[in-house]
Amino acid sequence: MSATSAEPRDLSRPLPIGSAGNLTPGWWGMVMLIATESAVFAYLFFSFYYLQSMADNVWPPSGKPPLPYALGTTGALFISVFTVWFASNGIRRGIKWRVWVGLPLTGLIGIAYVLLQLVDWSVEPFAFNSGAYSSLYYTITGFHLVHTIVGVLMIVAILLWTALGHVTSERCNSVRVVALYWYFLVVVWIGIMTTFYVLPYVTPR
Amino acid sequence: MAEVPTYRTPEVITPTRDFLDKMEEMWSDPPGIIGWLSTVDHKKIGRRYLVTAFLFLFVGGLEALIMRLQLAQPNEHMVGPHLYNQLFSMHGTTMIFLYALPILSGFSNFLWPLILGTRDMAFPRLNMFTYWTFLLAGAFMYIGFPTGQGTDVGWFNYVPLAGPMYNPGPGVDIFSLGMIFLGISTTAGAINFIATMFRTRAPGMSISRVPIMIWGTLVANIGILFAVPAVSLDFFLLWLDRRFGTDFFNVSGGGHPLLWQHLFWIFGHPWVYAIVLPAMSIVSQCLPVHCRRPLVANSAVILATILTMVLGFGVWVHHMFATGLPVIAMGFFSAASFVIVIPSAVSVFAWVATIWTGRPVFTTAFKFFAAEIILFVIGGVSGFMTAAVPLDWQLTDTYFVVAHIHYVLIGINVFPVIGGIYHWFPKFAGKMLNEKLGWWNFWLMFIGFNVGFFPMHISGLLGMPRRIYTYPAGLGWGDLNLVTTIGAFLFALGVLVFIVNVVVTLLTGKRAPANPWDGDTLEWSTSSPPPHYNFGVIPHVGSLHPLWEDRLEKSEGRTILHEGLKLDEEHEIPGTTILDAEADVILKMPGKSFAPLIMALLISGVFIGMLLEWWWISGAAMCAMFPALLYWFWPSAEVGRSPKESRA
Repeated sequence: MSATSAEPRDLSRPLPIGSAGNLTPGWWGMVMLIATESAVFAYLFFSFYYLQSMADNVWPPSGKPPLPYALGTTGALFISVFTVWFASNGIRRGIKWRVWVGLPLTGLIGIAYVLLQLVDWSVEPFAFNSGAYSSLYYTITGFHLVHTIVGVLMIVAILLWTALGHVTSERCNSVRVVALYWYFLVVVWIGIMTTFYVLPYVTPR
Repeated sequence: MAEVPTYRTPEVITPTRDFLDKMEEMWSDPPGIIGWLSTVDHKKIGRRYLVTAFLFLFVGGLEALIMRLQLAQPNEHMVGPHLYNQLFSMHGTTMIFLYALPILSGFSNFLWPLILGTRDMAFPRLNMFTYWTFLLAGAFMYIGFPTGQGTDVGWFNYVPLAGPMYNPGPGVDIFSLGMIFLGISTTAGAINFIATMFRTRAPGMSISRVPIMIWGTLVANIGILFAVPAVSLDFFLLWLDRRFGTDFFNVSGGGHPLLWQHLFWIFGHPWVYAIVLPAMSIVSQCLPVHCRRPLVANSAVILATILTMVLGFGVWVHHMFATGLPVIAMGFFSAASFVIVIPSAVSVFAWVATIWTGRPVFTTAFKFFAAEIILFVIGGVSGFMTAAVPLDWQLTDTYFVVAHIHYVLIGINVFPVIGGIYHWFPKFAGKMLNEKLGWWNFWLMFIGFNVGFFPMHISGLLGMPRRIYTYPAGLGWGDLNLVTTIGAFLFALGVLVFIVNVVVTLLTGKRAPANPWDGDTLEWSTSSPPPHYNFGVIPHVGSLHPLWEDRLEKSEGRTILHEGLKLDEEHEIPGTTILDAEADVILKMPGKSFAPLIMALLISGVFIGMLLEWWWISGAAMCAMFPALLYWFWPSAEVGRSPKESRA
């Protein structure tokens, strides 16, 4: 371990300047943002399962939810994992066109997801205030919707910066960080999909 | 446009006077209001936190004194029940949320970079943002109180009392939105502390050489990251219930009031540790200096701190023993609450052993730290007692619990904080606080506190419930309450002496030397007060006690202070690796910026719009956040995020 023996003059070696390497300040910031936002969703799921466990009657009260839109959004988000990885992995190797392909595609999928979710909301037979289940449904999917819109806006910002020449293979932290955020969105969606759409079909109640 | 170099080999230099003058110029803020509003200097932010949190302590204290006058005798009617409800609600809210954590953030913001041997926090602008949001959220939470619209359901805000049916007024909405607002500040602060610890320590400060005060605050902030979302969400769901008729806590719609309590205490109990662990680590850091020896069992205390926080997430149900939960749940949480005594006791034994085997110097700071040990033991034992379910059923919602919470929060937060201010005042202000006034300050606070709060245990055992605005004669509570009131005023007098001491010292006190207490950590190696750049060259740390290496028998290495890396092209600090703290990058830190203030104001706009249900204000503020964040995060060469010289 060189830390015990080092003299200051041993430190005098070439060091990267600014946002470089894997563990940049921006990366730390995003990891911790994801940690705390994951906690938000964990507590939302806790609320859901707590109220479900306390429910007297059928859960969900309106019967099994319709699957088509949810399957559509799930498929779209799964594809976006690949597109955002394509961009992030590309820029690290200095292949800039992969940003121009991967990020816009991811953003478009994000927008498509938001629209599909809004359509799904409009066809649900219950309103925001028609009982605990519907309150939970709209709140949890709404939180995820807002997080996705934020993700799309991040992509817009990074595309702007890429166009202005701020993003290169050495300065690609913003792309990596947004990819990390996008993976988080998809993981949360798996939780939502499981909770609202899969479990009602596989559990007896 | 020129390409910016991506690598540099910094020279090792011994700083000259000219070099230091250049650094001072580079790191200082422009004068006047512009500099005041746009600064990101962690020392200024820390001082603002300390002053603001202390003002909230003062306000919360005045509220408490009014309550004590009201309760001094049976059947008093100085204030009516409605005002009394607001007084105890605002008192609790103020002390727990607007004083207890922010004051510790003040210490940490000011001291962390100095103790870690660097020049700023990992995210300087986020740091300034946390202060503005704390200030604005605090002001937000107080907007209803002056007009009699303050929250009046207590700081833990139980539904259905806080729900739309029984409390339609704006008080609970202000409290709910204010708590979500404040949560943004707290979370952002936590992110900043954690990144600072893992990324910006001085080279050589490997994980085993990190001073204990950093550990206490770090652990608390990791806890905050996972605890605060529970309460923010809880208040958000309540706000939805109140304003949009959702059914999270509404039984007739399939909701459940206990969901409120679960989410609140999943946050609430870790929060207790978030506001005491950093204060305990202040004691662990400073007490040994006044005992002239290193802390006994340093590693054990650190591990116990971590274990306390982990266990702290598994004891929340002990706040809910009286709500009719299954026996198995109560048994588990009761046992967990007993177990948490063990890591808590490790610190106590370490402190006692430090005093026992050291050569204590009876400074005012020492007295406050020693008193903390006594008060912690008393508060700990009363907590241990209520971990037992049957006893808790007797004592819950009585003054016994009020006594417990005050022994814990005043004993383990206020006493270390005042002691810490005596200890670090040379760094905060460049002066030494007066020890004679300190004597009066300490004894008035210590005697006043025990006279005031110890009798509450007895009035609680006699059955006096908390949160009553008056009580009939003949219950045997009158004399005890009179003693409590006298003690509270003595305690307040002690705090007043402290304020006098600070003011007198600032005006006339003598200048402090760099290391008046002969301390062991890096903050004492710079001048008092420290220069804007903190360290002319970044130290190279060789042990846990950098300034005591000559006298300690086994010192693992030598710290080098007089020479180091020349990092002088704008705001630069070394970034270091997580475990070994080897320099692996030159981080470019942002300088002054208005972005934090703009963002904080926009967030205020969102919450004001939500409160008044003027949705267009909230909507406009949210839309404006996109350009504001774009401006904040603009990749420039100045912060090392762009290959181009151009600025935003």
